Amino acid sequence: MPDFEPDEGWVPADERLFGLDRRTIGPTLTVFALAIVMSVVLPVVNAKVPYNDIVKAGDVIELDGNVTFVPEAGWGITSGVRAGHAPSSGEYPATATVENGDVEFRVKTGPFDGDADKLLDQIETTSDALNRGRGVHLTGAHTTIVTDQGTQGATARVAGPHTGGVIAAFVFNGRGVEAVATGPSDTGPDPTAAILRMIRSISRPGEGNQ
Amino acid sequence: MTTTLADLERARDIAIEQSGWGRRFTFYQPRNFAFWGYLALVGTGVFIAAAKLTREYNAYGQAIALAVTSFAIYAALFWWFTQHIDHYAKLPAKLMVVAFLWGGFAATFAMAANANDAILALYAKAFGQVWALNWGAGLAAPFTEETAKGSGLLLLIALAPRQVRTAFDGFILGAFIGLGFQIVEDIIYAMTSAASQFGANQIGASIDTIALRMVSGVAAHIVYSAIFCAGLIYLLGRPAEPRRVGRGLLLMGTAMLLHGIWDSVGAIAGDAPLMVLVLIIAVIVAALVIAVRVYRSTVARERDFVRDVMSPELARNVITAAELEAMAGNREARKAYRKAGRNRSERKRARYVLNAAYDLGDELAAARGADTDRVRFARAEVGRIRSGAPSPW
Repeated sequence: MPDFEPDEGWVPADERLFGLDRRTIGPTLTVFALAIVMSVVLPVVNAKVPYNDIVKAGDVIELDGNVTFVPEAGWGITSGVRAGHAPSSGEYPATATVENGDVEFRVKTGPFDGDADKLLDQIETTSDALNRGRGVHLTGAHTTIVTDQGTQGATARVAGPHTGGVIAAFVFNGRGVEAVATGPSDTGPDPTAAILRMIRSISRPGEGNQ
Repeated sequence: MTTTLADLERARDIAIEQSGWGRRFTFYQPRNFAFWGYLALVGTGVFIAAAKLTREYNAYGQAIALAVTSFAIYAALFWWFTQHIDHYAKLPAKLMVVAFLWGGFAATFAMAANANDAILALYAKAFGQVWALNWGAGLAAPFTEETAKGSGLLLLIALAPRQVRTAFDGFILGAFIGLGFQIVEDIIYAMTSAASQFGANQIGASIDTIALRMVSGVAAHIVYSAIFCAGLIYLLGRPAEPRRVGRGLLLMGTAMLLHGIWDSVGAIAGDAPLMVLVLIIAVIVAALVIAVRVYRSTVARERDFVRDVMSPELARNVITAAELEAMAGNREARKAYRKAGRNRSERKRARYVLNAAYDLGDELAAARGADTDRVRFARAEVGRIRSGAPSPW
């Protein structure tokens, strides 16, 4: 065994490539390749593959806590599952999203103590804290909206740099529901009839007329 | 055949050379491409994590504070335990920090998180949302996360080829990579839970997740990565660990399988809480049993190194045969050695002598077997403690 051991920064003259230790290039490029596949290739492939889960007339989306809504026929389901098709665990996901072109309609549920106005205030507080005045935020006063089931909710406009839309909040006996529809701001300030139909279709068994 | 002291010292030199024990680790190596690769990917991960944390702290500050505090304590306990089981030819602490940071930032934010999102979405597009919810995680995370974590070991080998020499080194470094991954993932889960009630009742919403992750984390990423990285060393081969492709692939596949089953418990067990519980316990037990077996099979080489390094000290009567057996033995051997004392005072002293002998081993390895002042002092310390004399320092 040689008495002297060079420090770790030393590279044998016959192992140098542009000053680098050529033995370290292969492993590092392998890791870079893996990182590029994971962070660039797969997301790009995903972006290129279109959704083809199109809503048919009569479809109902179910979320955690037995909350349901009726998506518009012809829209694409990008997350969430239809009622009666629960995952094996029996628990429906807490969010669902349907899209039509640039317009997105997202519903989220979760436990909440309070009424619809309080939930909308909470959503606004959280949204403002996350966005700090930038991005999408609630604008204007709360107005009332009533679902087909008869549950009263609160609604407000949302606006962002290039986005506009509407948000609605409902509370079904301790179960909060947030529904947000957003699209390009140049499509006009009013929610379309399709959006309003989806918001009004939000329901939960045993609720209504509150 | 008589073994001379010279023979024993030659064997010691070979053991020190092969094991990399006692070699210092320098992180700053600008002529090492792996250094730049590590810096780029960990730096990217740190940037993404900082941006996420800064943005979400404003909204979920309470939950984040609770999660970071809880998991910091949790990480400290695991750190202590993982270092505790590496008391043979020890790896430098700095290398373990480097491994931890890879797992926490590069493997998560710079690699696996992006891939997981994309693969889950692709599964949903190809097989439907329900199928993706059932099987997506179990058929994405084992591949993306285990390879992302394991790839860190490739860089660590390139950064520290003189230190990372055995499958046991892979096992320990894998555990630290897994620990980093686990802690950061747990904090992200807690943040997600904090948002589950629209930002209200953050502590209540996240406390269950924190507790669950702590319990289930006992046999999760730390164990999977330890097994995977031990397998990766077998697959690649190292100066002190001959290549064993079959064993390497088997261990790597086992880690992925355990991970996959864990992520698919809900889909396998279905809507039956008792079955879910049984399956969770079964996976945890299986993971721990396999980890212990891998530990036992990989640590044998490290124990041989200890024996080779310390045998000349036995020949010099610095340590006794019983002490050498205890040093190179398992926990039971060390316990038996300590318990052999006739009274409490002797048992306590036996423990101190053993610790001093391990210190001597570290000094000998750092001096590459030479008879330096530090080595002579460490030898003298073994004698002093054995005699019961007080420390002059």
